[in-house]
Order: sequence, then C-alpha cells, then structure tokens
Amino acid sequence: MMSNAVSIIQELEAIALSPYKSVMRTMKETGKEAIGCFPIYAPEELIYAAGMLPVGMWGGDTELKLADRYLQTFCCSIMRSNIEYSMKGAYDMLKAVIIPTFCDTLKCICENWKVSAPRIPVIPMVYPQNRRIDAGFVYMTEELERVRGALEEISEKPITDAMLEDAFAVYEAYRSAMREFVSVAAEHPEMINARSRHLIIKAAYFSDKKAYTDKINKLTEALKKESVKPFPGIKVVATGLIAEPPALLDIFAKNNVAIAADDLAQESRQFRALSRKSGNVIQRLAWRIVDQQGCTFLYEVEKTRGQMLIEQVRNTGSKGVVVFMMKFCDPEEFDYPIYKEELERAGIPVLYLETEQQMDSFAQIETRVQSFAEMLA
Amino acid sequence: MYLGIDIGSTSTKAALIDGKANLVAQKVVNIGTGTNGLELVLAELLHEAGLTMEDVVYTVATGYGRLLCDVADKQITEISCHAKGVSYLVSGTGTIIDIGGQDSKVIRLDPLGRVANFAMNEKCAAGTGRFLEVMGRVLGCKLDELSDLAGASTREIQISSVCTVFAESEVISQLSMGTRREDVAKGALVSIAKRVAGLCKRVGVEPKVVMTGGVALNKNMVEAMSRELKEDVQAAPYTQAVGAIGAALFAMEAAEKKENNNG
Repeated sequence: MMSNAVSIIQELEAIALSPYKSVMRTMKETGKEAIGCFPIYAPEELIYAAGMLPVGMWGGDTELKLADRYLQTFCCSIMRSNIEYSMKGAYDMLKAVIIPTFCDTLKCICENWKVSAPRIPVIPMVYPQNRRIDAGFVYMTEELERVRGALEEISEKPITDAMLEDAFAVYEAYRSAMREFVSVAAEHPEMINARSRHLIIKAAYFSDKKAYTDKINKLTEALKKESVKPFPGIKVVATGLIAEPPALLDIFAKNNVAIAADDLAQESRQFRALSRKSGNVIQRLAWRIVDQQGCTFLYEVEKTRGQMLIEQVRNTGSKGVVVFMMKFCDPEEFDYPIYKEELERAGIPVLYLETEQQMDSFAQIETRVQSFAEMLA
Repeated sequence: MYLGIDIGSTSTKAALIDGKANLVAQKVVNIGTGTNGLELVLAELLHEAGLTMEDVVYTVATGYGRLLCDVADKQITEISCHAKGVSYLVSGTGTIIDIGGQDSKVIRLDPLGRVANFAMNEKCAAGTGRFLEVMGRVLGCKLDELSDLAGASTREIQISSVCTVFAESEVISQLSMGTRREDVAKGALVSIAKRVAGLCKRVGVEPKVVMTGGVALNKNMVEAMSRELKEDVQAAPYTQAVGAIGAALFAMEAAEKKENNNG
C-alpha cells in the first residue's frame, strides 16, 4: 500500500483512540471553541456555522466510578460513560453540549447533566415523533432555529444564512466523501480491516470536518489506485448503535471477518442519507431527518431496516449480518426481532453480540465470531 | 493418528482417531483451562492408546483454552467441533444442546451435519453447569449425586430467580422452610432446562435433539430438558468428549487437505 495511505490511516486511528488529546489539538490548531454533541443526531452544521467545533460524545472505555450517582446500572454504557467523563472533568473544554432526546435515558440526561457538569450549559433538542407530517417538519425547523439562537448566544455572534450555507457545503462534502470511502474500503478489506474502518470513521467526531474530509479524500484516492485482491475471509454487514470497544473489532480482524457495509448509528447513519437541494439550510437539515430511513431512533411506520440490510448484504457480497447490540439500548432492542425475522426469511445468517463499552473479557465473543466465520466459510 | 483437545472451563478432554476415522481413545480430566489438565489428559490418553505424541500427525484444539494450546496445529471453536463430533456419533442430529461449565450453547445443524445456526447464553451463569455446582453446594451433595437426588423428588418446586446468586438465596430460603432437598434438586434441574429451552427457541429446534457436555451425564437433567422442549432428547455417547472427538475429526481433515496441497 502507498505509504501516504498508511500514514493517513495511522493518523486517523490515533485521533479516534485519543479523543481528549485530539479535540484539544484541533481546538488549538483551529482556534475554535468546542460544543459537545450527544448521540444520535445533532445539527453539527449549526455549530460549524457559528465558527465552533462540534465534538461527538459517544462514551468510551472509562472505569465507571462516579456515574452511578446519577444513572442506574440499567442505563446504556455510552450514557454512563458520558456522565462519568463529565464528572471526571474530561469535558471541561466544552463550551456547551447539545443533548437530543432520542431515548428514555437521553431524556433524563438533560437534567442529570445540569448536576453532573454544572459549568457546561445544556442545549436540549427534541426531535419530532411524527417527522414526516407537515406539522412535524415545521416543528423541526423551529427547533433548529431555537438551537441556532442558543448557539448565537454562546458564541456571542450571529449565525448568518451565508455562514449556514458554507457550513452545510462543508458537511455535504464530508458526507459525500464518507459514502465514497465506505464503498471503496469494502473492496479492500485486506487494507481496511474492521478495526481500522471503525476508527477512521470515528476520527471525524474529534476533527475539523473540512480538514478531515481532505484526509478521507486522499485516503480514498490512494485506495482506488490499489488493485482489488481476493479476500480469504468473509464479509459481513454491521448493524446497531456502535461497534465498540476496538478490542472487539480486533477479533473480527483476527478471524478475517471484514465489515463491508454498516448500518451503525455512529457510522453510516450519519452520512448515508442524501440531502435535498431545495429550501434554506434549516429546511434542508430538517429534510435530512425526514428522509433518514431504517433508524430505530426515528419513528418509522414502514420499518425499512430489514430490507435495507438485506440489500446491503446482497450489494456487497456479504455473507451475514452482525448485530452489535449495546446492552440496555431499548430502541435498538425493539427493532431487533423485526429485522432478524426478515433476514432469516431471506436466508441471511445473523450473529448477535451484546456489547458494553466497558468490556474486560472477550473470550465468549471470540468464540461467537470465530464460530460465525467457520459457519459461513 | 489425529488428536483433538477440548480445554473447557472446568474440564479438559482429549480424543484420538486413526486414519479411517475410528475412535481410538478418549479421556476426560475434571480440571480446565489455566491448569495442568492438558498434560494430565494427554498422559492418560496416550498411555491408554499405547502411543506417544510422535504418533500424532495433526492436532486441533477447541474450547475456551484453545487459543493458548501450544501443541495444536489449528484452533477451531467448540461450536463447530461439537457439530462435527455429534454428527459422527449420532447420525441425523438436528439440534445440539451443549451445557458446559460456564456457558450453554444450542447448535442447529443442516441435513449435512454442518452448523446452520447457533446461540450462546450471555455472561450470566443461569442455565450452565456452574448453576448446578452452586445448587449442589447448597444441597450438600456432589455434582454427580444431584441427578439421583432429583430422581427421588415427589414435588417439583419452582426456582424463579434467573440469577444464580439470587437462586442460591432462594434455595436456602426454601430449605429453611422445610422443603425437601430432593424437591429442590429437581427444581434446580427444571430451572436450567427452562433457561436453555429459551435459548433453543432463538435458533429453532429440529429433531433429533442431542445433549453434550458434562451436564448431560445427569439423566434427570436430560429428562427435564425433554419435558421442557416437548421433544425426545438424548445424551450423546462420550458426552463430555464430543468436542474433542469433533476436533480430532477436523484434525484428520486438515491433515488430509495439507497432504493433498503438498502432493
């Protein structure tokens, strides 16, 4: 592989593995202040337009010692990690956090945050339950305008329409680059293994999107120059909230199981939907939520996720679907029986892995992954 | 000669097969990964077969300790090895229930005896051999005495706690209220059968149903499983060594493949 590509991969992996250092460095390099963004979707474009740095807050592998003061043990480990980090001071660099209310735990986190990190203001954000009716769309635009106003107060300057257009263009370039990257990476599993793929995508959360997009484009171009080689392992599609911790993905790489496509909330769900061209930026942001499909955090009568996974498997030559089920993630658990049945009806094997961010023992998971690989070989 | 080694959490098993896939010997020692179980079981196995390691052409290791087994040429999971072993020992098997020391697995086979689907218990010890160990301790009997104790039950009591730790408290509470040990023992077996039956439903049950692992030595456990599933359930021959036998069969195949590639 070209040394240029190797150095970009290593750089992005290092960024994803050290979020705190990476955010501090990005802040220093860009001179921007940072705003934290809780999962699943946050209007990062508004933050970027305000001249600030959006930072993804998807938990991490920290020992949970303090968070139990505010969150029960049956809350998912991402939320418990975020509260733990806030109490340990890891988020002290943030100017504010945006907390959307996609699940029952997130709804309570807005209040928990006020006591766990009283110095960092919260901008709560409520997405419409009925996003595809006119009232839901109008509500969504008004909610985005409210968040815009809150960010203007924090940044102490107006966010003009022109600033919004520029920021939206940066994010459109980012999303387009990511769609191309995951497509090209699927052809090169010997170079972009499961762990690398995850870390490369995750690095975006701690980088300036413009600079990050440049790196991804360079990496994709380097990959495209490489010949497509036969892969001795198997390809799968990953679904779920998040595929972490990275040690879990090492097991996939060790057993020659490559992730050819994903439906992970932390990964492809962020950039797979195409944006509409009409309307102002606020409307286009609202349309992005309206047009998102197959995401359990956004109410959808049709339940398109199963069919979408089937198509992903067929389009990428994958042999099965791996479910990364974050323990205690109710929305993801609600969807599972529905798409599992659809996948099984289509003859697609499913591997279910229950995960937490704080995992010490991987022996059982290793047996499952290796068995799945042996079964599909 | 081809060697299969199954290093589990509470026992170590080994099996030898010859070039015509005949089972030459199999041994079980009741100490598992992280102990000298491997040395002991190999010494006993080779002694019984009148062979040395020099006679072994290829070795496959399976079980939780497979990745740390230095003598193995290859590591294959216990799910694949149990499927291989059971298909060899009991033709026409559709579903395997393997209740081991620290986990339980349900494996559904296709008509050719290959793994079609599988499910494992989560980290919890409910529905595993560990649960029975805890019950045996509370009831003051050895693990192999638990089946006979349950066989003398006249009244089935329900152990409702899913968690092994809470179930232990529940059983102590039952005993303190004067419930007979025999009835509690039966309740423990039924409790495991219910948990594992839930696991079976995740992959679907196809007859014939065969149980493997040390817990299958408990005939009252096999009967309880049969009642829960409403299917005839039988214990596999050499029930503890099935994984090792499957590993030995894989060793034979791998050696033949290697020879063909070299030839």
